[in-house]
Amino acid sequence: MTGPLRKSHPLFRILNGSLVDLPAPSNLSVWWNFGSLLSLCLIVQLITGIFLAMHYTADISLAFSSVSHICRDVNYGWLLRNIHANSASFFFICLYCHIGRGIYYGSYVNQETWNIGVILFLITMVTAFVGYVLPWGQMSFWAATVITNLLSAVPYIGEMLVQWVWGGFSVDNATLTRFFTFHFLFPFIIAALSIIHLLFLHQTGSNNPTGLDSNYDKAPFHVYFSTKDLVGFLVLLAGILTLALLAPTALNDPENFIPANPLVTPTHIQPEWYFLFAYAILRSIPNKLGGVIALLAAVLVWFLVPILHTSWNQASTFRPLSQVTFWILAATFIILTWIGSQPVEEPYIIIGQVASVLYFSIFVFLFPGIAVIENKLLLRY
Amino acid sequence: MADDTLRQTPEVIEAVRRLPADTYNQRAFRIKRALDLSLKHRILPTEQWTKFEEDVRYLKPYLEEVEREMKEKADWNAR
Repeated sequence: MTGPLRKSHPLFRILNGSLVDLPAPSNLSVWWNFGSLLSLCLIVQLITGIFLAMHYTADISLAFSSVSHICRDVNYGWLLRNIHANSASFFFICLYCHIGRGIYYGSYVNQETWNIGVILFLITMVTAFVGYVLPWGQMSFWAATVITNLLSAVPYIGEMLVQWVWGGFSVDNATLTRFFTFHFLFPFIIAALSIIHLLFLHQTGSNNPTGLDSNYDKAPFHVYFSTKDLVGFLVLLAGILTLALLAPTALNDPENFIPANPLVTPTHIQPEWYFLFAYAILRSIPNKLGGVIALLAAVLVWFLVPILHTSWNQASTFRPLSQVTFWILAATFIILTWIGSQPVEEPYIIIGQVASVLYFSIFVFLFPGIAVIENKLLLRY
Repeated sequence: MADDTLRQTPEVIEAVRRLPADTYNQRAFRIKRALDLSLKHRILPTEQWTKFEEDVRYLKPYLEEVEREMKEKADWNAR
């Protein structure tokens, strides 16, 4: 008697351990849905992306019109394009909710899982950035020009680095073809890293909304959380289809309906909404290299979060001061996103600078400091 | 109780392992009750809340003992 096939078969045993008999905390809330939703977003992007790639041409004289061809001539090409473009936004909504959950509930104490997660976010940012260049609209070209030019701020090797990335002396055909290559390749790296992310998560087991040891009350992943995740999938798919079918250009920049023209600079160059917070931090520093360092630091500071955890509790559940700090962080993020979409004029400049300082202060000073105060107040340490 | 909410560091895990059976069982009951309430999105009725004077730092002596032992081990290993 070898028992059920799902437990004895070498391959099914692995899937069983992650999707069926995985012991999960019984009290996982909706904030734990975003991990599986990210997997769904990745699968949607992979499928729609592969079909788009069958009809797209990565050449500066043909890219824009190949996207028009997809939308007008390819059977359901308009739907593929709309879903792919709008699912990118849902990908980042899910990412920010997933990361926010991690910060609020102290899930980052599982350091390997957290660090791989930050790397996954960085690669996703790069993938989305190079993907946005592919339609070769005005904003595609100029966003690529602005962001790749930041590499010239690197001391000594900056100019050489930029020209190496461009494949020439400006954003041109060589840049487009290699960006298409990266955009095709990186999602598979994201998929592989996601599996490693889960591997480390399953060493410790999931966190839960109380931050307490959940070994006292576990439930099997199937049927409880497979069902909960299925509900999440239906909500996400409804959201994607609502946007793709009813408001496909709601998050678009109208400049991208104009083919790229290196001789005409748009008045307001800005990235998609999910990069605006980092864009605001970049622009808040008047020095080019300083701005680039701040841009990188805006994400790399997340690597410090587990190291700076000083509370004797894992989650913020029983820590009201930390909860307030978290929501100040969320508000700061929203303010930075708004500022990133505004022109570089007063009062937006000073607001952006204050919000940028507050953003870094929250991670480096406020979260650790307030946790020390709470240790003394709540735990009497 | 406050000591129920301590993060699962190696010191806390070892200190919990050393708890007397009845204290451990009471801790297990409170945590399990908390997880159950959490999944139902409920809180305890006011009359069942732990009073301030009842909130005893039951884990503290064991935690301090474990920390002393670990420090001593680390000092010996450093030699």
